Amino acid sequence: MSDQTILLGAVAYDPKVVTIWEGIREHFSEQGVAMDFALFSNYERQVEALLQGHIDIAWNTPLAHVRVRQRTGGKSHSLAMRDSDRNFRAKVIVHRNSDIKSLKDLEGKTLAVGSSDSTQARILPLYFLAAEGVDLARITLLPFDSDLGKHGDTGSSEIDVLRALHDGRADAGTVGDLVWVTEQAAGHIDVNKIEPLWTTPGFDHCMFDAHPGLATEKVEAFRRALFAMRWENPRHRRLLELEGLHEWLPAREEGYRSLEEALKLQASP
Amino acid sequence: MSNEVAAIAVDVGDLPLGGGLLALVRPALNALDPGGVLAVLSRASSVSEDLPSWCRAEAHEYLAVQEISPGVERHLIARGRFAISIPINHQSRLETPQRSLSSQEMLDVEPFPGSADPVTGFAPRGARVEQGGPTYPFTLNERAHVAPPEIAKLYDQAVAAQWDANSDIPWAKVKSLPAEVECALGQVMTFLAENELSALYVPSRFIARIHPHFAEVAMFLATQLADEARHIDVFLKRARLCGRGLGISSVITSRSLLSLLQCDDFIEATFLLSVLGEGTFLDLLSFIERFAPDEATAELTRRAKNDETRHVHFGLAHVRFGLATDPSLYRRLEATVRRRSATLHGAGGVPAPLQDALTILAAGGSEPRSVARGHECYRELLETMHLSRIKRLGHAGFTAEQAEMLSLLHTPNFM
Repeated sequence: MSDQTILLGAVAYDPKVVTIWEGIREHFSEQGVAMDFALFSNYERQVEALLQGHIDIAWNTPLAHVRVRQRTGGKSHSLAMRDSDRNFRAKVIVHRNSDIKSLKDLEGKTLAVGSSDSTQARILPLYFLAAEGVDLARITLLPFDSDLGKHGDTGSSEIDVLRALHDGRADAGTVGDLVWVTEQAAGHIDVNKIEPLWTTPGFDHCMFDAHPGLATEKVEAFRRALFAMRWENPRHRRLLELEGLHEWLPAREEGYRSLEEALKLQASP
Repeated sequence: MSNEVAAIAVDVGDLPLGGGLLALVRPALNALDPGGVLAVLSRASSVSEDLPSWCRAEAHEYLAVQEISPGVERHLIARGRFAISIPINHQSRLETPQRSLSSQEMLDVEPFPGSADPVTGFAPRGARVEQGGPTYPFTLNERAHVAPPEIAKLYDQAVAAQWDANSDIPWAKVKSLPAEVECALGQVMTFLAENELSALYVPSRFIARIHPHFAEVAMFLATQLADEARHIDVFLKRARLCGRGLGISSVITSRSLLSLLQCDDFIEATFLLSVLGEGTFLDLLSFIERFAPDEATAELTRRAKNDETRHVHFGLAHVRFGLATDPSLYRRLEATVRRRSATLHGAGGVPAPLQDALTILAAGGSEPRSVARGHECYRELLETMHLSRIKRLGHAGFTAEQAEMLSLLHTPNFM
């Protein structure tokens, strides 16, 4: 295998991941950029593989991205993100019979939350609720750790939260805004039973993280080929739809401050 | 931002996002160009939470919200730049007809395009096609090669002229015939069924290649396939009824039909099959009707001939339209006939079992003087076929000289 090949890591949270990366690999090849990919079953191993230099670039969740930044002392290269990764939000959804009219009313109630490693369904909604003055110690958590290691990519823990709300097993629940609106658009939500109470501030989501030692020309080649993908191109569009974006955008770091802060608070007793 | 002027406003009452609101918001956005602004008037507080998230998911821009009266909010959304405007075609509207509604009227309000784009797939002509779909493998995308102006009328006629092979033929009147006539009839029906099977298969090869914007052509060919299916059905029924069953399938027929099936060009295949082949069959069917030994045989050949006449009309219209727009087509069609003739060269004349059967059928039996008369009728048939072909080729636009030559080169198998 030539040294020119960029090796990218992605987590196989769904069979479509193979379709996506085979397609993007083909597109890179048409752009004259040799790229191959390796699939991991969880983000922890992918992050380790990146840090040890086994892969050049990792397609990371926000949690994995923040860990890479911390472990490399900010020396990793942040390459690009999806348009949909910017201004992600989480929602607090309540059962209509729960009598919850404000965030303070959550105290004393049962709150369904997603996987412990899901930024949008657990880590950040709880962080933002605390920041709003809600005493988390007075809330009974109903956790759904259904896709640990996948950092919430499958969305299955969010679906579990919504189901618990429908069934009345929880008074309230936290999910990402994307799952909440797509489930509504698909007709999966009974609006007579549940409704949104609050939306968190925005935060950023996934990121391509490159190893600090990756050659500049490879960094540039990767960005050039990635940014050449176009929504108007039917072959590209199919891949972009599967990956959940309209266009690739340059990286930005400010959208991860809240997550960095939340992880610091988690770490301190 | 809240001073943004909305092009359209939609009142969604107290509908939540997951409770029907999108059924009002999405069509309103579809009516706007990218960047166009929609005002959503809502009385549901949850919409303030959900509409910005939905806009983010769909790549529309959520601009602002304003309380315009107590409990009523006005949300402004700009249609996303990735959305592609799909113009509405108001001209394709039909007025309520007095009685019936023909395909021709449909075609008049939404005419064929000069050429069609394979990326529109199976979207009907006039549909508002969303961009970014895959490219379909249609190869017949130019109107001049596919869709003659008469096609909608021919389709309407074909639909109105469908008949029932079970009940429209007086099968009950078929009685036993002298053995030699039974054999002759079985042979003729075998030949007809074999050739009609080819006429079922040949057009079907092209239907999947026709761009759906010329759907009337595919629809007409579908009636042609239904016609051929019915003909195969009645010919085989007649062969088996009271008779001696099926006759011989000759190698010359087999070679001739294979060369037809192998023709890869739509207009060339139409020329060989419908103008030359089915055209020649009109005279053959007239001959069989004339000497039919019973009412059922006369009726089924008469009905088959009516159907075939329509196929010949389509063939002539198709070729004439092609010739009018592409003068080089004469040469191509001539070359096609020559190539086919060369392939079949030395393969023999009219299949002998058919020759004999037509002679006996015309004679009405095996008595020698009748057979002499039958033979004379058969010779006249060949001459009639040749002259009709020349006339038909003249209608298609060939010169007398070209027509004479092409007719002589036509397959001895008739089809």
